[in-house]
Amino acid sequence: MIMRLIKKLRSNRLLIGPAVLFGVALVAFSVLTLTQSTAKAQEALVSTNPNDIAAGAVLYSEHCQSCHGYEGEGGVVSGAPSLVDKGAAAADFYLTTGRMPLNAANNEALRHHTIFTPTQIRQLVAYINALPQITGKGGSGPTIPTVEPLCSNQGTLAAQSEKGCVTLSEGQQLFSINCAECHQAAGSGNILSNGNVIPSLNNASLTQVAEAPLVGPKPMPIFTELSNAQISAIARYVVYLHHAPNPGGFAIGRIGPVAEGFVAILGGFCLLWFAARMIGNRG
Amino acid sequence: MSTTEERIAAQKRYRAAKAGTDTVDERLGSSKFLTSVLDKIFPDHWSFMVGEIAMDSLIVLIVTGIYLALFYVPSSKEVVYAPTSGHVYIPLVGQKMSEAYESVINLSFNVRFGLIMRQAHHWAALIFLAAVFFHMARIFFTGAFRKPREINWIIGLLLWQIVALEGFTGYSLPDDLLSGTGLRVIYSIIESIPFVGTWLVYALWGGRFPGTSLIPRLFVVHEFLFPLLIIGLLTAHLMILWHQKHTDFPGPGKTETNIRGSRIWPQYALKAGGLMMLVSSVIFLLAGFVQINPVWIYGPYQPYTVSAGAQPDWYLGWQDGAVRLWPHWEFRSFGHEIANPFFPGLLLPGILLSIMFAWPWIDKKIYKDYKAHNLLDRPRDKPFRTGVGAAAVTLFSLLTMASGTDIIANNLHVSYEAIVVALDYLVIIGPVVAFIIAYKACQRLQEADFHPIQRPVGGVIYRTPDGGYHTVGDVHHGPSHDAPADTSASHGAGDNGDGGAGSGSERSVSAPAAGD
Repeated sequence: MIMRLIKKLRSNRLLIGPAVLFGVALVAFSVLTLTQSTAKAQEALVSTNPNDIAAGAVLYSEHCQSCHGYEGEGGVVSGAPSLVDKGAAAADFYLTTGRMPLNAANNEALRHHTIFTPTQIRQLVAYINALPQITGKGGSGPTIPTVEPLCSNQGTLAAQSEKGCVTLSEGQQLFSINCAECHQAAGSGNILSNGNVIPSLNNASLTQVAEAPLVGPKPMPIFTELSNAQISAIARYVVYLHHAPNPGGFAIGRIGPVAEGFVAILGGFCLLWFAARMIGNRG
Repeated sequence: MSTTEERIAAQKRYRAAKAGTDTVDERLGSSKFLTSVLDKIFPDHWSFMVGEIAMDSLIVLIVTGIYLALFYVPSSKEVVYAPTSGHVYIPLVGQKMSEAYESVINLSFNVRFGLIMRQAHHWAALIFLAAVFFHMARIFFTGAFRKPREINWIIGLLLWQIVALEGFTGYSLPDDLLSGTGLRVIYSIIESIPFVGTWLVYALWGGRFPGTSLIPRLFVVHEFLFPLLIIGLLTAHLMILWHQKHTDFPGPGKTETNIRGSRIWPQYALKAGGLMMLVSSVIFLLAGFVQINPVWIYGPYQPYTVSAGAQPDWYLGWQDGAVRLWPHWEFRSFGHEIANPFFPGLLLPGILLSIMFAWPWIDKKIYKDYKAHNLLDRPRDKPFRTGVGAAAVTLFSLLTMASGTDIIANNLHVSYEAIVVALDYLVIIGPVVAFIIAYKACQRLQEADFHPIQRPVGGVIYRTPDGGYHTVGDVHHGPSHDAPADTSASHGAGDNGDGGAGSGSERSVSAPAAGD
């Protein structure tokens, strides 16, 4: 049976081209995913390699210096903050989310496509991390946090007594107390006064969510009272929400009753209204 | 043509059927009732069916509601979510929550048909209220509330209010973060009533917010008190409609004392039945494909948490919008303060509703028309009333929009303050502009006397002596032309019995501006 199938395929020369293409694509895909995962693993570390710092200094002078000053001391004219005491977490957060560099000094720092490659970001982060030593001013900012893993037996009460790991339940509670007021319960984002946008968390990576409460990207405050375990729990929960079981159908943006009202009136009632028009006499 | 055997067989069948109906009839006397009921005639303009959409949604609500009530636990007792079998929503495991919220989570994840029933229940409520608003607007714009139907207008308004409250209590029952926030707002609004507010709110909640007595009380109100009131008032609404007979638009062959349309059996029953199937299908399609109120994401209600984008369901949006837009005024005198939420939360809706309740009598005064009417007004023939209606629709729409200021600002990338300031002005200017536009449009339409998007259809074709053809007039509006020959025979005769409250005048068309 199988032999006959193979024979049939061999006789069908049309399939050879697609098969070769598929094979090449498979190899390319696996190579890319493997290299990318190694790059990600490196990204989590803050490099102290002098080569990286030197490369970062070059990138800094090209892209950052005009606002943040010669050695990250901040700009008097541009109003850009000093970077000496901001730490690696801030540099990593602003660069990986594409918030920096800004197009113009008075623009709001919003999530954007990043212009740097992961390697360049690692070099820049290394340079900014080394700024306190370079300038000799001392002071230190938060480093890139290590997000604690999820407990193994999620979904049971036993998970709560496990040590060295975080639970989604903890994350959900901490998220509703600390984050949902602005980011909305599902992390869909909202708006504040003075044109301050609260970003949706749907694209935020694990590290980025963990960095934000340490960095406090304005208007978001710095959450000094949260421990690393608590921040890890929140980050794990937010990333869980990206692919959480979502029964009940299409989520219409997860922004609550306003969207539901629109669908009910425009989708449900209008359909029935036309049905009534079809059934009834239109004279 | 038929053979003797066939005739005998037909007679047998008839006798058998008659024996069957007679058995029932001799005991219940139902034939006479049924004959009159099934021969009842309803006019079949499409807009009269929108009220039925509301009624059909109510039926879906009752059916799904009964199913939900089997699994819902009305209790504020604190429990720890730790299901040992079935589906588990992991981020809630180990959290403290009320038994009510836990039962809704289990209902959504572990009860067969639970989630689709809950979603159908919620979608049906939203569509129900949309149909109620449309129906109300139809009654208003066509003057169907005039004598003898003032009582039914009032019953209808009461129904609207009770249905909206029923919706709100349902929104509050799951005890999730969103419903708790809604209850907190209502608590503050009731508390702001001068002098009695604090006492009232303590009596309703059985103590301070949030307390543990409210959820069981809401359950009783949502499942017994309000449904009984709704069904009772709806029965009265329909019985009065039945007794007074349906109104109809003026048209050829239609008078104040007759009704033209379809009999209940079979035509109207099939139409209404078909619409009912469509209503339930649309509701269940939405319930199956579109998620509504994912309570598991909101999490259990804790008084110290809140989520951004907390809105009521759309039909209460206008009241929420009023609260959002109202300036920060507070009045203090003689050592007593009237708190801010009182004005937008209760006083403004109170004034608007009072005007609506009184409208049939205001309308009588305006038009000095105290007579009974069974023929409807075309909106264009009463420019002032239409203008007032347009102003009201504009005000309600703007206030509803104000309820979603943050969502609108975020999604349209507009500044939040700009939207609030714009709406602050628009709720004052918008209704006035809407009134003027509607008023002027009515006057222009009266002059033109045809719908702007519908050119008049030529009714009568004239052939000129030299062989040319031209059409004159519009059969729908011209009183000078007779009813077209193809309309079905008037069923009015059977329905003239008690004659409504019609004046019996011989006018066939009441539109004053009709004719050419």
